[in-house]
Amino acid sequence: MLTQNVLRNRTSELSAEERSLLEGAISRTQFFPAGAVVVRQGVPVNVSVLLVAGLMTRHVDARDGKRHLVAVHVPGDFVDLHAYALKKLDHDVAALTDVTVAILPHESLERIQQIDPDLTRRLWFLTLLDAATHRQWIYRLASLSAMQRVAHFLCETNARLLAIGASDGSSFALPMTQADIGEVCSLTNVHVSRVLRELRELGLCQFRSSHVVITDLRGLAAAALFEPGYLFLNPQTAARAAAQNGEANDRES
Amino acid sequence: MTESRSALEPREDAGRATAEDGVVILDGPDGVAVTMTADAAEKTAASLHEAAKKAREHLARG
Repeated sequence: MLTQNVLRNRTSELSAEERSLLEGAISRTQFFPAGAVVVRQGVPVNVSVLLVAGLMTRHVDARDGKRHLVAVHVPGDFVDLHAYALKKLDHDVAALTDVTVAILPHESLERIQQIDPDLTRRLWFLTLLDAATHRQWIYRLASLSAMQRVAHFLCETNARLLAIGASDGSSFALPMTQADIGEVCSLTNVHVSRVLRELRELGLCQFRSSHVVITDLRGLAAAALFEPGYLFLNPQTAARAAAQNGEANDRES
Repeated sequence: MTESRSALEPREDAGRATAEDGVVILDGPDGVAVTMTADAAEKTAASLHEAAKKAREHLARG
């Protein structure tokens, strides 16, 4: 099922009927190789894209040529649902890894809006989740130290992947380079490298060969000032994401 | 409910500069996280030193 990860383990989950209706709104799936721009800034669009497999990013290209990652998307994210209302994006959406996406024509979303107000509200919830995450990214860049930023991003990614079954709560594949993490956290490669070394030396987590192992989730979350409330996870998933349920990888447990 | 610290207040804690792989990393205070070449770091240090001197003069004038 292409929509299996949409709102999975969030506070507002899809009913079976809603999932079926959303599934029926998909016109086709499409593969994009890593690095491809899937939705280009400023180009009129009449479809929205649901990420089925792989990782995607939103990025803003500044006039001086610098690219800045402003969002990382995981399977189940409706990466440009906001294009349904906006009709063109103010940023690019790109494939960070090879990705498979489901395409939903705006006319299908229009039909959902007309016949199912509850599902419409859940789709709205999805864009509000995006907004909540953006607010947290602003906070992260404005107020956190380099180590806190990286730790916060890793906690957030762990939580989001935990919700869709792509993290076991402390270990997950993260096919990003240190430079990618640097773009997310506004840090140079050398700074990210040092922070990752410090996190490893503190016994909090390891990032090697595109794989993250969190060795002390409670410690990492504390170092990051990470609180998962803004992700609107269901209570069980939120507790695991913040190591409030005595996870086995806690050094203290 | 305690009042939160304003992010706009001048910081009294210093940033920490360290060398790493031939560049200078400045961490803090607050959300500052910058990597500079050695030349840029030295110019920044001189500029900070000069600005700090002038700030003290402002305070002395009352």
